Amino acid sequence: MAAAACGGSDSPTTASTGGASSAPAAASVKVGLAYDIGGRGDGSFNDAAAAGLDKAVSELKVDKKELEATQGETDAQKEERLRLLASGGFNPVIAVGFAYSAAVTKVAAEFPDIKFAIVDDGAKGANITNLLFAEEQGSFLVGVAAALKSQKGNVGFVGGVDVPLIHKFEAGFVAGAKAAKPDIKIQKKYLTQPPDFSGFGDPAKGKTAAQGMFDAGADVVYQAAGGSGAGVFEAAKAAGGMAIGVDSDQAALPAYADDKDVIITSMLKKVDVAVFDFLKNFAAGTVKAGPAIYDLKAGGVDYSTTGGKIDDIKSKIDEYKQKIISGEITVPSS
Amino acid sequence: MTVTGVSVGRPLEAPPARRFRLTLPILLAGVAALVVLLSIARVVTGANDITSGGTVSAALGLAVPIGLAGLGGLWSERSGVVNIGLEGMMILGTWFGAWGSLQFHSPWAGVIAGAIGGALGGAIHALATVTFGVDHIIAGVAINIVGLGFTQYLSKLFFDGMPGGGAKQSPGLPHMPTLSVPGIGEPLRTLEARHWFLLSDFAGVLRGITQDVSSFTILAILLVPLSFYALWRTAFGLRVRACGERPGAAESLGVNVYLYKWIAVLISGALAGLGGAFLSIVAAGIYRDGQTGGRGYIGLAAMIFGNWRPGGLAGGAVLFGYTDALQLRQGGTSVHALLLVVAMLLAAVAVYQLVRQRRNTAALITAIGAIVVFAVFAVTDTVPEQFTSFTPHLTTLLVLSLASQRLRMPAADGIPYRRGQTI
Repeated sequence: MAAAACGGSDSPTTASTGGASSAPAAASVKVGLAYDIGGRGDGSFNDAAAAGLDKAVSELKVDKKELEATQGETDAQKEERLRLLASGGFNPVIAVGFAYSAAVTKVAAEFPDIKFAIVDDGAKGANITNLLFAEEQGSFLVGVAAALKSQKGNVGFVGGVDVPLIHKFEAGFVAGAKAAKPDIKIQKKYLTQPPDFSGFGDPAKGKTAAQGMFDAGADVVYQAAGGSGAGVFEAAKAAGGMAIGVDSDQAALPAYADDKDVIITSMLKKVDVAVFDFLKNFAAGTVKAGPAIYDLKAGGVDYSTTGGKIDDIKSKIDEYKQKIISGEITVPSS
Repeated sequence: MTVTGVSVGRPLEAPPARRFRLTLPILLAGVAALVVLLSIARVVTGANDITSGGTVSAALGLAVPIGLAGLGGLWSERSGVVNIGLEGMMILGTWFGAWGSLQFHSPWAGVIAGAIGGALGGAIHALATVTFGVDHIIAGVAINIVGLGFTQYLSKLFFDGMPGGGAKQSPGLPHMPTLSVPGIGEPLRTLEARHWFLLSDFAGVLRGITQDVSSFTILAILLVPLSFYALWRTAFGLRVRACGERPGAAESLGVNVYLYKWIAVLISGALAGLGGAFLSIVAAGIYRDGQTGGRGYIGLAAMIFGNWRPGGLAGGAVLFGYTDALQLRQGGTSVHALLLVVAMLLAAVAVYQLVRQRRNTAALITAIGAIVVFAVFAVTDTVPEQFTSFTPHLTTLLVLSLASQRLRMPAADGIPYRRGQTI
């Protein structure tokens, strides 16, 4: 019922869904979702978004339409993809990934009656919701884990592409490692520079970079490199080192079943939670434009304990977690 | 018989400039000199990674896919067919390589499947360009697009259902066995860890090329002299090259131009496919959508700057692989040390130009270049990340374009040939 208040011009949809929580009524919600490069099945970031959408399909009974991006495409192609969804009667439209920043800003202005959401980007617009994460907070925790687990006092960070989003991972990791061991040595490497985004999908490069770090004395390497991360795990296995996963609980994913012995923990970024929340709010008619930040407090980021490899230091990590939640520690984001 | 008409009309004179021939002793001396330069740079800067065994081994691994793609380009272009579709054939190779090794639980089955997958792309290219006379560039670009789309479709079909697989990646692949020269691994490692001038560097290089080398790498290296032998030392190779120089003349002498072009383009596709298979089976251990990352184009460029010769393209690939390994492993530190090497190289070239060639202006320009590079080296501590990632591209471009200023492509390269035409 409250939907009418903020539903605005798209009241037909929200009014009907906002009524009783009956499933058939909600079926009129048609969600359009545009993936970033990698798409469904990337075992990482896009898959998390897909999981949120799937949950919404089964629990909220929404209809869905998914479109995928291709490597090396232009902004015009991204705009066209969003426009296709918006003009095809899909509302809301969710764009996964910061690459859609410019496209969403432009297309959202063309369709003021349709709600847009973008993951990982602060694009501004009256009908754009920004699903943002405090990656630095989750990375801080795995930074602590890396420092405490490192025997040699030397850890590494492999970033996929040198972009502001990945800088947040790095900043949090560095801060966490230094908090746990102030004199720790931290090696850093970004695989490619924008506009070359192949660093998110080139395991051979990830392997070479991580091998270099292990050879130079590191024993734990944290990767925020999408598909290149598989190479980091390979290198850790070959060097007898440890690795830290990203986005999903990678030690638990079948895709990395061969590598689960070297993955001591993963920084969890719950894109699925954010996407599902957004769709739930949409169905309830309570969607708000502007940033919605998913941090440690909101349960948007966290670390995983699958495999039990960090059980011995879990209490220390949780101490830091509480300090971040209470605001005692402020994690830098760049 | 071709020699008869050439020098009759000309007055006999000394050859205009002595032709520089790269023989094995010269090559080895060059490599040794380079190691000395690297060793000096390593001792001065403390960037120990630039001659470490790990770097050399990584350099080999990064050079092989590019070199194989370049060899593929060589075969095709020597027969007169421009092959810009190497990237697409490589993509097919990555997928089929992964699929083959999973399906038959053997990396070698993957190698064969990768070659067949690449040859499939070659067959499409040959059908379009040789049989139907389509513009070579257009056919090649189409193959790059088709290769990408087709493998994405196949991934959904095959990998999606496998445990650990997905629409974008395969499950982890079975490992390729590695070979080592026995008995010298540990002594070399110890020697390398001492960081002595020169000795440790040679130990590092030796360790990189003798320890834990994948059998696939050895196969790839052997393919370079093999291609040279087949193209330049056999009647078959002469006919292939004739198709790339004067297809009309070859036809008039009874060479089936279409057939030879078909064979060459098929081999080209198979080699590019091998490059892709190496990438997924050995370099990454997993198939990943888009993992070629433009290596096919880099291979093509290495082939062009290598003057359509196997040695040149192998040199380009190794140079690219080495600098790529440097920047990926230790980034700014190693690239910074590389600046010193470049400065010393330029200085040496300047001295050579002054003393041996008496080209004063050229020597002056080179010397200024050396001083500028040295100044940059001296006033900085490291090279910013934004610069290091394109070090391989820049170095390879500079070195190869300076080294080979007189490129000569096969005369009929890229020109669609129709049976019966006179050229």
